[in-house]
Amino acid sequence: MSAIIEMRGLSKAYGNRRESRLAVKDLTLSIKQGAVFGFIGPNGAGKTTTMRMLTTLLEPTSGEAWVAGCSVAKDPRGVRRAIGYMPDYFGVYDDMKVWEYLDFFAACYDVPAEERVGTTGDLLELVDLSHRRDDFVDSLSRGMKQRLCLARSLAHDPTVLILDEPASGLDPRARIEIRELLRELCSMGKTIFFSSHILSEVADICTHIGVIEDGRLVAAGNMEEMQRRLRPQRAVRMRLLGEAEARQAAKEALFHLEGVTDIQDPPDAPGEIVFDFGGDDANLSAVLTTLVTDHGLRIVSFSEESSGLEDVFLQVTQGIVS
Amino acid sequence: MGSTATGARPAKRPRLWKRLPGAFSRQLLDNPVVRKELRGRMRGRRAFVVLTAYLLFLSCFTSVLYYTYATSAEQPYGPDSYLIGKIVFGGVVGAQILLVIFITPAFTAGTISGERERQTYDLLRTTLLSASRLVTGKLASALSYVVLLIVAAVPLESMAFLLGGVALEEVVISQLILLVTAVALGAVSTYLSSRMRTTLTATVISYAFAFLSTAGLPLLFMIFLPILGFVSGGLYGVQEPHWLVVVTLIYIGGFLLAINPFSALIASELVLVEEQTVFFFSVAMPVSGSPYSQIWLVSPWLIYVPFFALVALLAYWLTVRRVRRRQR
Repeated sequence: MSAIIEMRGLSKAYGNRRESRLAVKDLTLSIKQGAVFGFIGPNGAGKTTTMRMLTTLLEPTSGEAWVAGCSVAKDPRGVRRAIGYMPDYFGVYDDMKVWEYLDFFAACYDVPAEERVGTTGDLLELVDLSHRRDDFVDSLSRGMKQRLCLARSLAHDPTVLILDEPASGLDPRARIEIRELLRELCSMGKTIFFSSHILSEVADICTHIGVIEDGRLVAAGNMEEMQRRLRPQRAVRMRLLGEAEARQAAKEALFHLEGVTDIQDPPDAPGEIVFDFGGDDANLSAVLTTLVTDHGLRIVSFSEESSGLEDVFLQVTQGIVS
Repeated sequence: MGSTATGARPAKRPRLWKRLPGAFSRQLLDNPVVRKELRGRMRGRRAFVVLTAYLLFLSCFTSVLYYTYATSAEQPYGPDSYLIGKIVFGGVVGAQILLVIFITPAFTAGTISGERERQTYDLLRTTLLSASRLVTGKLASALSYVVLLIVAAVPLESMAFLLGGVALEEVVISQLILLVTAVALGAVSTYLSSRMRTTLTATVISYAFAFLSTAGLPLLFMIFLPILGFVSGGLYGVQEPHWLVVVTLIYIGGFLLAINPFSALIASELVLVEEQTVFFFSVAMPVSGSPYSQIWLVSPWLIYVPFFALVALLAYWLTVRRVRRRQR
């Protein structure tokens, strides 16, 4: 997969020559085609500034960025053709009907008039707003407006979607709807670059993440790789048949195995054992084989506990807010 | 080198006159902003209420003018219809200019700043809509309503034709001045709208500009007139100045007179009546010592129309540049 978004040494300073503040510092990042990239970081970390530079709204102070092969600085029109942008606010015309809103933006993206009727219908169906086609935008709920804005950003069938906090301020149902929509868009082959504060959501749908703090990219990569890299000790949880004797035998067996550390009885789950393991998948498989064949333990479940995105986030950030 | 790598000549760009219909269509007829704005503007009661109120005001004003003159004229055979025609026509055009000055900033000062306030400006800027199409669309749709107001009042002006005393040239000149005033004020207000953060600020400054260009310039002229009188010696009886100084001052005074819509209209009418010309006329040289016996002057509308057309073009160009510029 080739990189569809590329940033090299991207920086943005606000203020004048005497007193300027760097909002984004030397950001270098590649996002592959078809990826769902979650851009996370505390408030004021530089997420929106980065997105505004990528969408050609903001001029970078230094560095370069390309979207779908088009330079943000030299070919803004090419970039605009490739992206669908949804900012962290609605941006709707209250005196317009739902279909007029989509038709207007489709026309702004040079979608021919004869195609616009079909496009508008398809988009409304995608975001489940067909039944509100002739209603005024003003009468829509917050979640519906957000879905409409997402439909607007798809009016010209872009390859890349840049979404700034797409689920912020929405109720749980609306959040789930947006998340499902993003999943659907991902299955349609769109590359999605989005920022969010809700880490569980990012973890749910992202293939890649980038963590930004105080304008600097502190970590980026494949979701699983990141978790593994940031937490070298894998937590493994296993459940056994039998009473305390079986658990004691298992603990003793584990104690003598290479790479196993910190064996615990989790208080929340009696009958289970949790231990840290420092080896790779093959070594972990060997541990399981030894426990079953050599020690005759009757294991019901044996699984690696995934470290949450919260852990990753807390580990790579230092709580610095610009 | 003038040719591509394959040796084929690059496609020749069509001549300007061939590109114009396409550009016109793209900028105006096929402009989504025009369609959206017109749809929004004509939706609901507001547009019709404003139009009705405007025509009612003009009708009442015309009736009052007619009635006042008809009852006050002490002619043995009734009021002179020639004069009534002129008064009605002048009154309607004067009231129209006043209304255009009041209405145009209100319609155009929120065009760009309103997009910012609705948080739709950035959305538009990330589309393929060019800055020139956005500005043209905004300006054209706002001005189209002002033009509708001007055109809607034509039947009232045509009453003057029934009464007599108004020539076609007068109608054309007055409509040109009205149109250019609307376009210039609209373009300047749109520019201010692109500069200001809020619509309120843009509206206040737009009205200040409209007030200065209509009331401020006559004030300047009134200040300038005594200087002209002093220099030419006519008022104070001092020694005669050089003819070049006098001619320059006459041209400056004439220019100041010509760039105000009211004085331009009145002076153009006077030139038409007194000098029997629409374009150029001459007056006798007021001072001696000049190799020329006459000074050539142009009818004020010939200065007003190109001057404000240029102001409009400049404001339009600045607005497009402003909208095109990326945030720094």
